[in-house]
Parts: sequence; C-alpha cells; structure tokens
Amino acid sequence: MSKYLQFDDIVFKDRRLLLAALADVGYAQVEEGQALPLYGYHGDRRPETAELVVRRRHVGSLSNDIGFTRSPEGYVPILSEYDQHTLRGGRFLTTLRTAYSERVVEEVKRRLHGTTQRQVEGSLIKIRMRF
Amino acid sequence: MREIEFTIDPSTGVLTMHIRGVRGPACGDIAKVAADLLGEPEHDWNTPEYFLRPHVQPRVQPRRER
Repeated sequence: MSKYLQFDDIVFKDRRLLLAALADVGYAQVEEGQALPLYGYHGDRRPETAELVVRRRHVGSLSNDIGFTRSPEGYVPILSEYDQHTLRGGRFLTTLRTAYSERVVEEVKRRLHGTTQRQVEGSLIKIRMRF
Repeated sequence: MREIEFTIDPSTGVLTMHIRGVRGPACGDIAKVAADLLGEPEHDWNTPEYFLRPHVQPRVQPRRER
C-alpha cells in the first residue's frame, strides 16, 4: 500500500487550464465533483478526497487514483508515493507543470490578442509574444 | 513594440515572464493577467522601463468665440 502525499507547493490556479494540461500529458478523462473519494490500486478507499480525479484505470494497473483538491490558492495535487516515483519516470508533476505553463502562455496570448514565436534554447522553452 | 518573453524550464515546469515595451503601471496590469492563471509570483521586480512615465500628448482645444 502506498500512502498519498499532498503537494502544497504546487498549485494549479485555473481549473480549465489544468484540465487542458492533463489532457496534454495523456489524461483526458477526469472526474469532477465535490469531495470525490480516492481509491488505491487494490480498490481500497482512501481517506483523502479531491475535486478532480484521474481514476487509476486511466493511469496504470499498479497505480492509484490521482487527485486535485481545491484550496483558496487553486488545485493542489494529491498523488500516491508510488505514483510520484514511477509515473513518467518520477517526473509526472514536472511534466504536468510544464504543460500547464504552456497553456498559461496560450491563454495570455488569447486575452491580449498577441502573436507568438516559440523556440527551444538549450534546455529552456522560450516563447516571445507580441501584442 | 510591446513584448512578453516567457521562459519555461521543463526540468521544473516553472514559468518566468519578462514584459518589455510597456511603461509604468500598465505593466502591472499585464502581470495581473498572468497572476490570475498562475497565482502570485514568487519573485517580482520592476525593470527600469517600469519607472518611465508614459508620454501623454496634451490636447488643447481653442475656445470658440461667441
């Protein structure tokens, strides 16, 4: 049994962009509701609840549900210790955060009616937006 | 030309943005758009451009003679 960890220092402020970012990293099916229960890979119900849940059947046979609980600052991920170390080679949250950041840039571009140029410089993604 | 340079570090997922060509507090209004989506920034500093006052052309209308 793997325990759940809540990552308070990682917050996704906008629900719509979070859902889009989850779809970008391969998790398009997300359950939405109030205090949804989370289940472990044995089907055991955990005490933690969340407002957005990716069910384990969409994650992997040995995985647990992935949750996002709503806080005043935004949506905070709740991830099992097992999944934290195994999903995407232990980089699930980083990958999701990167996808979310790209979605933020798209949304700022839309709101400011801008045009963008994207390029990779070394290990960094640089996006220049004119508006 | 007004420009924002976004930098995303895929090793952390952290986004930084640099606003150029926007003078004065209007720059803060643009930063607020991003803060609405990202939350309050961990670091926030103003470049010298911020302290430039926007140039406002005075408009003087001639008085109409009765």
